[in-house]
Amino acid sequence: MIIELGHFAVITALVLAVLGIVSPIVGLKRRDAVWVEVGRQAVTLNFVLISVGMLAMIYAYLTHDYSVKYVYATSNTKLSIFYKIAGLWGGHEGSLLLWAWVLALFCMMAVHIHWKTQPAVMPYLISIESVVLTGFLLLTLFLSNPFERIFPVPADGKDLNPLLQDPAMVLHPPFLYLGYVGLSIPFSFAMAALFSGRLGEEWIKATQKWTLAAWLFLTIGILMGGYWAYYELGWGGYWGWDPVENAAFMPWLVATAFLHSVMVQETRKMFKVWNLFLIILAFSLSLIGTFLVRSGILSSVHSFATDPGRGLFILGFVAFMLLLSFGTLILRSAKLKSQIEMDSVISREAVFLFNNLFFLVALITVFVGTLYPLLVEALQFKKVSVGPPYYNTVFMPVALGLVFLMGIGPYIPWRKASAQNLKDLFLMPSLVALGGLVFFLAVGIRHSYALAGLTVVCFVAVAIFRDFAKISSFWAKREQVGRLQGFLTAYKKNPRRLSGILTHIGVLVMIIGIIFSTIYQTEKILIMKPGDEVGLGSYRLKLIRLYGAQGVNWEAQEGLFNVYKGEALIAQLRPQKRFYTVSQTPTTETAIHQVLMGHVFVTIPEVSPDGTWARVRALHNPLVLWVWYGGGIMGIGVILNILRKTRLKVTAARPQAAAPEGAVSLPRQAREEVLQHRSNRWQSFLNAVRPGRKEV
Amino acid sequence: MKSGRKTAIIISALIVLAGVGYLGFGSFGKNLIYFVTPSEVVAFTPEHYGKKVRVAGMVVKDSLKVVPNTLRLTFDLSDGAQTIPVAFEGVPPDLFKEGQGAVVEGFWDADRTFHSHMIMAKHSEDYMPVEMKNAGAELPKKDFFKTLKVE
Repeated sequence: MIIELGHFAVITALVLAVLGIVSPIVGLKRRDAVWVEVGRQAVTLNFVLISVGMLAMIYAYLTHDYSVKYVYATSNTKLSIFYKIAGLWGGHEGSLLLWAWVLALFCMMAVHIHWKTQPAVMPYLISIESVVLTGFLLLTLFLSNPFERIFPVPADGKDLNPLLQDPAMVLHPPFLYLGYVGLSIPFSFAMAALFSGRLGEEWIKATQKWTLAAWLFLTIGILMGGYWAYYELGWGGYWGWDPVENAAFMPWLVATAFLHSVMVQETRKMFKVWNLFLIILAFSLSLIGTFLVRSGILSSVHSFATDPGRGLFILGFVAFMLLLSFGTLILRSAKLKSQIEMDSVISREAVFLFNNLFFLVALITVFVGTLYPLLVEALQFKKVSVGPPYYNTVFMPVALGLVFLMGIGPYIPWRKASAQNLKDLFLMPSLVALGGLVFFLAVGIRHSYALAGLTVVCFVAVAIFRDFAKISSFWAKREQVGRLQGFLTAYKKNPRRLSGILTHIGVLVMIIGIIFSTIYQTEKILIMKPGDEVGLGSYRLKLIRLYGAQGVNWEAQEGLFNVYKGEALIAQLRPQKRFYTVSQTPTTETAIHQVLMGHVFVTIPEVSPDGTWARVRALHNPLVLWVWYGGGIMGIGVILNILRKTRLKVTAARPQAAAPEGAVSLPRQAREEVLQHRSNRWQSFLNAVRPGRKEV
Repeated sequence: MKSGRKTAIIISALIVLAGVGYLGFGSFGKNLIYFVTPSEVVAFTPEHYGKKVRVAGMVVKDSLKVVPNTLRLTFDLSDGAQTIPVAFEGVPPDLFKEGQGAVVEGFWDADRTFHSHMIMAKHSEDYMPVEMKNAGAELPKKDFFKTLKVE
């Protein structure tokens, strides 16, 4: 009964989503505030209804209702409560429901937050968000319904994939979805700006924190996926250019480019069309990414063909969204020609331009690498895959270039830098970087990318800390306080700039982690018997014994390893070869000992049936933790950026607020905007939308 | 704005694009790995010997042999019509076993054996991309940066 209630709630949500598309548009056409209000209420109600659907599913999980097909496929009575709930997004159907739920939640939040400050674009926003929601609900209800029942009712569920029974994996998909869906808000604002013709900077200002939050979630999701692959899959690496990984990476790349290029529009009113293009592209890529991963199209056109309904719907929906958004952009772009043009190649604008260029090159690389095999298969009936060397050759120089720009961009002046500027800013970092290069050569680093990478990191680090020292002492002198206090004052004066730079420091830490943990990784794969030893960098690993172990839903063979540094025993490791009895799947459980910021990492992929020997894969990954520490610092930077106070301007000013006597002193543009609002015929209904301002 | 500056910006952007484009797409063909079936492998002529390909098929029952005290194992891979012997050295993935689908990466050589260093086993779970019957998704992935190592 509960499941039917949930099902019915989601069906109702679909009807309301369609209403949410239509009614705000009708409201605009007929200048009738009531219709817009209907749309607003539909948004709130949709969230409630989809929540009911989610709760019904969770109820089915907790009560072991295996008459629900999807619950049967992704759960089991033996699972802990945590994984029972996580089963909801452990498969295709449930994860689409989660997508729709997050979308409804964000849409409701956006409407709530921006209703007062951005009333003119709200009807468009509701309508566009409802289009996306309708698409997802159609897909959920008609092509992959999680509420579907089976008969006869199975006695027990098939179990959640053991690989997914891991905390990082449980949280990884929701974070990715928060990121994907979070991008839909800036996208909707951009589309609303296009439709309403309000193409100034306000949509960028309104969506800045949304974009930052979406970017943060996406970053966390990707990093968690990397950690899961490292720890749970046991391949000792965190990134493999897998098409599924690429699907999440593509929107991330564009969102990052967008976060940088909006600053140019804010400060210099340039890149207007470009910014619209980027945010539309970012959200389109998150739609494409979701569908590629969830439809199975990605790895094979054949599986796409096995469910033509789902595949075709997906293709149709993505095509519709692309046509709608890019079509509108092209039709409107003539209006957006920037009056201001770039003054010099040596300026902050140009740095941002190159930043965007690099990100776009990175995107094209990943896009081609991911989709080319699909194209070949569709056209030639051959299967190909694109190897990691393809990605590496492009990514190394692009990443180096981007990191280098990080050392220049925040400091180089807008418009045009003079030779004196450049000397002041970059002479010292360059000299230190040169010194660093000599030092790295002296300590025996020979790998060309490691050398180049570390030298560039030196350059950027010195540029950043030099700037920190300068602003700290500036404020310390001015406020007559200590240097640290001066730094805090500087942060208070310009939190955005400093939190941005903190994010850059995170990137540097991550780059160092990546360089060391990959280029200087030691890997040994061998057969070991109890008593055998293997050297691993400056560590030694000794297999003591092999024995059996047992858990609630698994059995395992476990190995006991001693880790030595010199003669000292520093740790004991117990990797396992597990066998999950319900789902009949084996997994390899990693054992990790942390050394400094690196890892000694052991897996036993195979143990002989009589327990006399094991295949051992042992790794020393120096500084590997810096990859995630760096991610953490990046995250803190972005969170500080989100938490800083901003005041959203009321864009459709009330008539009395735009007092004509003040207008004389207003800058020309603001005055024009006020005049435009006053002549705006929608104003009447916009006033009426606000409570207590009914116009008769 | 002077047109000279504009040209400078455009030219420098183009140089960057061309450089990176050359890096990526210049070696694109080399980095493609073709999927083939055991039947196609059997038909390989000497010019195909030593070229890296991926072969998808079923691991033939009772064909798996472990060479004692080494990382080597041998098995037969079949597509129903043809069967090829595979010599593998390394760590096979968790889901690799007889009677199931697998994809092996490696090369065919004059000794009429497929030499492989990487096996991908078929993964039935819905979370992973649903693969075609004979292809797999559970990769014992090599970290991409390791491909940078000078060997």
